[in-house]
Amino acid sequence: MSAIRKGQAGTGVEQAAIGTITVLWVLGVLLPILSLLVISFIQGKGLGFVWAFSTKAYADILVDFRIEIVLRTLRIVAAVTFIELLLAFPFALWLAKGLKPGWLKSTLLILLVVPFFLSPAARTIVWRSILGSEGLVNIFLAQTGISPEPVSWLLFSEFSVHLGLIGPYFPSMVWPLFISFSLIDDELIKASRDLGADAFTTLRHVVVPLALPGIAAGLVFTAIPMLGDNVASTLLGGGNVALIAESFDDLIRAMNYPGAAALASLLVLAMLLAFLVARLVLARRQAGEGGIFAEMQA
Amino acid sequence: MSELATTGPGTESDPILTLANVQQSYSGVLALRGISLDVAKGEFLTLLGPSGSGKSTLLRVIAGLEEPDSADVMRLNGHSIVGVPPEARNVSTVFQHYALFPHMSVGENVEYSLRIRKVAPEERRRRAEAALALVRLPDKYGRRIHQLSGGERQRVALARSLVMGPDILLLDEPLGALDERLRLDMQLELIELRRKTGATFILVTHSQEEAITMSDRIVLMRAGTIEQMGSPRDLFASPATEFAARFMGFENVLRGRILRVAAQDAEIDIAGQAIRGRVVAKNLRPGDTAFAAIRAEHIHVAKNADRTNHLRGTAGTPVYKGRFTDVPFKSPVGDLMVRLDGADDVLPPQADLNFAPETCVIGSIGPESAGQEETSSKGKKHD
Repeated sequence: MSAIRKGQAGTGVEQAAIGTITVLWVLGVLLPILSLLVISFIQGKGLGFVWAFSTKAYADILVDFRIEIVLRTLRIVAAVTFIELLLAFPFALWLAKGLKPGWLKSTLLILLVVPFFLSPAARTIVWRSILGSEGLVNIFLAQTGISPEPVSWLLFSEFSVHLGLIGPYFPSMVWPLFISFSLIDDELIKASRDLGADAFTTLRHVVVPLALPGIAAGLVFTAIPMLGDNVASTLLGGGNVALIAESFDDLIRAMNYPGAAALASLLVLAMLLAFLVARLVLARRQAGEGGIFAEMQA
Repeated sequence: MSELATTGPGTESDPILTLANVQQSYSGVLALRGISLDVAKGEFLTLLGPSGSGKSTLLRVIAGLEEPDSADVMRLNGHSIVGVPPEARNVSTVFQHYALFPHMSVGENVEYSLRIRKVAPEERRRRAEAALALVRLPDKYGRRIHQLSGGERQRVALARSLVMGPDILLLDEPLGALDERLRLDMQLELIELRRKTGATFILVTHSQEEAITMSDRIVLMRAGTIEQMGSPRDLFASPATEFAARFMGFENVLRGRILRVAAQDAEIDIAGQAIRGRVVAKNLRPGDTAFAAIRAEHIHVAKNADRTNHLRGTAGTPVYKGRFTDVPFKSPVGDLMVRLDGADDVLPPQADLNFAPETCVIGSIGPESAGQEETSSKGKKHD
């Protein structure tokens, strides 16, 4: 943190770089979000807008079924993100600290990048042939006699949407965790053991606190893109599990731009709220320890 | 060793640590080749050696941070510690780079071992403050680690290890990262700390000066074996092998053939010159290849040239070292480094050199297997 603070009082080049990045950030991030907010409070008329204040867009989208979709999306995203954390945490820890550098480690790291280059639809649709009524799982269940009738909730259900989301977002969770675990000095772990802490206590008092920035980044990198995912719900939800992303498609197709903007604004608001709550909780937890998050805010 | 303060004379108290035949290897390369060692309670023991000699590995094996391939005996304070994990051994390590937890304050770092042992917060705080006072950091309890200087971090690491009252405090080159001035201060402070706590200290270092200043006993290691063990005086004055002589800072180490051996002294033939010296090795016999070592300050430019160990030398370029001047001489036995106190002495190009037989040690070469490349940090090539 202190390095960054020093940088702010740094050379002309640093000043210029900070200036440029700030301008780009305002143009590329802040402005679109603000326009979103503005558009959500006006009315659309064909391809254009009626420039008068209106809350009609919110009234349009805040109908029962839409609220249901928003809540379902938040619930599924939260659940899958939590599952990702449970799966990725031990895997990333093993990758960073348990596995010695070698061909296995390199191979695993490469495999973690590959999903970013594959078509999301292509790898999601594979689940259909596994989970479908004539898919691999049901064939297996039928042949072993466990379930003579095809199990229907495997596909086109919330189950299949959860399952379909886990794979694509696994690397997004593993990478930040892996990096933050790798950055923890092995000597600190040894020192903790040396001072009498067993492996679990060391994990709790040393590894997790030091990896908190990575855990936070992993949650953000996983949850936020997942909010906008329309592949899993379209291909594996079969119309039964509508998520927000599909609502956007619907609203834009119906040229209801203020509606889409209003929905997006609500999402941004929800994310901001979630972040504030997380920050408050962590700040309270860390108050005594004056931990990493306190320093991040400083 | 006899000069231990804490173990009274005649008390056959059990050693705090006993190791017998400890073997350790890294991917087939032996790092420890059957180390056997007893450490007395309250002793300040130093593991001295060049990098790769296995001294740090031995320390980590004692701490439990590495499990040896095999060990006949590993006993700490009467209990076997073979296969016992580090958290279950009552020893504590001060790491070379301190390994302080960056997300905790100074106080939390020091209290860590007490927190693990579920000591009540007030008691914890009291003991942490006491430990911080012991290392002369009384008012840094609430500081963050990154606000401390290198020397202060070193002290926090010491306090953190001492607060749990370890049977043995293990110090892994703790002074390596400090600057010269601070290192000298910390040396004295470690001696003082050992005196105040009465704890057993095992220090790892590659600096013979550090070892001599602080230790009751020095274990000189080389390629995974113990080369020589003894008091600082023993090692400084009577290195038993050629490697030990070079490592203990003898500037002039020469090889020759033994001519004559008596109880105390011997005569060695080096390039046709007979040199008399003090025998430091047992079972030397006439005809054996041996070494003779003389410190540069013990060679004198002679005024009267009729004594024993007299050589005629040609002076090379003097090296001014401040308190003294080192002058390399070419002599019949090879290059000799001579230390002159008076930096301004004008040297004739040819000079008569001599040294007293008691300042010249004669001993066996030592195991031939380990090559001389390890001694490069200290030794100067003479042949």
